Amino acid sequence: MIEVKGLSKTFGDKQVLKDISANFEAGVTSLIIGASGSGKSTLARCLVGLIEPDQGEVLYDGRDFVHMTTKERKTVRKEIGFLFQGSALFDYFTVRENVRFPLDILTDMTSKEKEMRVDSVLERVELTDAHALYPSELSGGMKKRVGIARAISPSPRYLFCDEPNSGLDPQTSIVIDALIQEITKENEMTTLVITHDMNSVIEIGEYIMFIHYGEKWWEGTNKEIMQTDNKEILDFVNASGMMTRKRV
Amino acid sequence: MAPFLFHLGKYFILMWRAFSRPEKLSIYRRRLLDEMVSLGLDSLGIIMVISVFMGAVITIQTAANIDSAFIPTYTIGFTTRQSTILEFSPTIMALILAGKIGSNIASEIGLMRVTEQIDALEIMGVNSSAYLILPKIVAAVLISPFLVIISMFVSIGGGYLIALFTDIVSVSNYEYGIQLDFRLYHVVYALSKSAVFAFIFTSVPSYHGYYAAGGALEVGKASTRGVVQSSIIILVVNYFITQIFLI
Ligand SMILES: Nc1ncnc2c1ncn2[C@@H]1O[C@H](COP(=O)(O)OP(=O)(O)OP(=O)(O)O)[C@@H](O)[C@H]1O
Ligand SMILES: [Mg+2]
Repeated sequence: MIEVKGLSKTFGDKQVLKDISANFEAGVTSLIIGASGSGKSTLARCLVGLIEPDQGEVLYDGRDFVHMTTKERKTVRKEIGFLFQGSALFDYFTVRENVRFPLDILTDMTSKEKEMRVDSVLERVELTDAHALYPSELSGGMKKRVGIARAISPSPRYLFCDEPNSGLDPQTSIVIDALIQEITKENEMTTLVITHDMNSVIEIGEYIMFIHYGEKWWEGTNKEIMQTDNKEILDFVNASGMMTRKRV
Repeated sequence: MAPFLFHLGKYFILMWRAFSRPEKLSIYRRRLLDEMVSLGLDSLGIIMVISVFMGAVITIQTAANIDSAFIPTYTIGFTTRQSTILEFSPTIMALILAGKIGSNIASEIGLMRVTEQIDALEIMGVNSSAYLILPKIVAAVLISPFLVIISMFVSIGGGYLIALFTDIVSVSNYEYGIQLDFRLYHVVYALSKSAVFAFIFTSVPSYHGYYAAGGALEVGKASTRGVVQSSIIILVVNYFITQIFLI
């Protein structure tokens, strides 16, 4: 479980995150939605310490991450998997090496165990055939899937996915969503998914947090989001074009 | 002044982090080997081409400038050897490598920064500065003296070709000159110098790449800054080294 308390971040004179508090439960796929530029990626980066928040606390199962030393943070980071918005694959590694890298770094597996783990993860994201390719030889959607494979290969306790679906066709999107939800349940992971995709929201949104200009505007479940009267959410949902809902 | 001190401080902090104890040696060993191969092999060709012409030109220049009956012609060989060993091979090669390797390093690391690959390393608990920068510096510091030795031989060989194919200086005079009053200290001095230069032309571009922000445009600028600054620093440091160790 990740608890966020009063998180704020300002870049220059622009406040990007305003006093955000939330609980992200283990075994639940929590979704963070919001317009482009609303601060979703910044929130995720603050949670894992890639950006230092100005204020607030982040607790990983009770462990106060913000005030840890670099060394203490490393132990928490070893339990984090992160899919970056732009995939961030290592250019000079093949797909297989990319997925294997965190195992080399984080685990004491034998070479054979690592290879087996890589094979099984690649199979789950349906990239077995692409294992010898370099990132420059992949399509955008394939890169995303390799990014997911790399994030989940060391079986993290906490998983962050920054737009796992962008650039994927609807079918692959569903497969990826299902995969994320499945492993979250299987391993009791605390999973945060940043998304624009209303399909995902409806399908896997057990907990949804809507960010509006850096503020937590709304939170609830996928059932609740269908019924809300909140204007900004309705705008967001309607703009996605997938639902033509009438207000009752 | 303040921005200069700011960058200097930031540079030294980065170097401090890069040289802190690595967490898993096995992943570094492979990186170091890769870097040594790519630095060494990729630079060998350009080093040889430049060195042979450099030596030829030094020989011709020296001959043209000591057109006097009082100076023996073997001085041409002697001067070619001395300037090659003391300055041209270590310093000019460092400048060439600063251009070639330095820009490469800055853009490689800079691209990793703007595509979040460095963040990805950090998330995995990898000390990204050590992982990316340390192998490059160590590889260059180890390889560079060998490149300089090769450059010395090729450069003096370039002069030899002039002796062989022109009548500027006779082969026997040239051969006598290049063996005259040889001091090993000079070679040791040159190789140590080249190791220092290698540290500069890898660490300075690394710094600029590591702190690149924005997009491809910024990476290009970081690369230029890295090359220009390492070249200037190399020449300034060269002055001090010469002043301290050769006078
Ligand atoms: N390092 C930074 N320096 C200055 N401003 C930043 C920085 N990072 C983000 N911002 C600003 O913070 C705001 C939120 O950015 P963020 O990347 O978090 O948005 P987002 O919600 O992830 O958008 P998208 O859906 O387009 O990815 C933007 O206005 C952006 O300009
Ligand atoms: Mg984003």
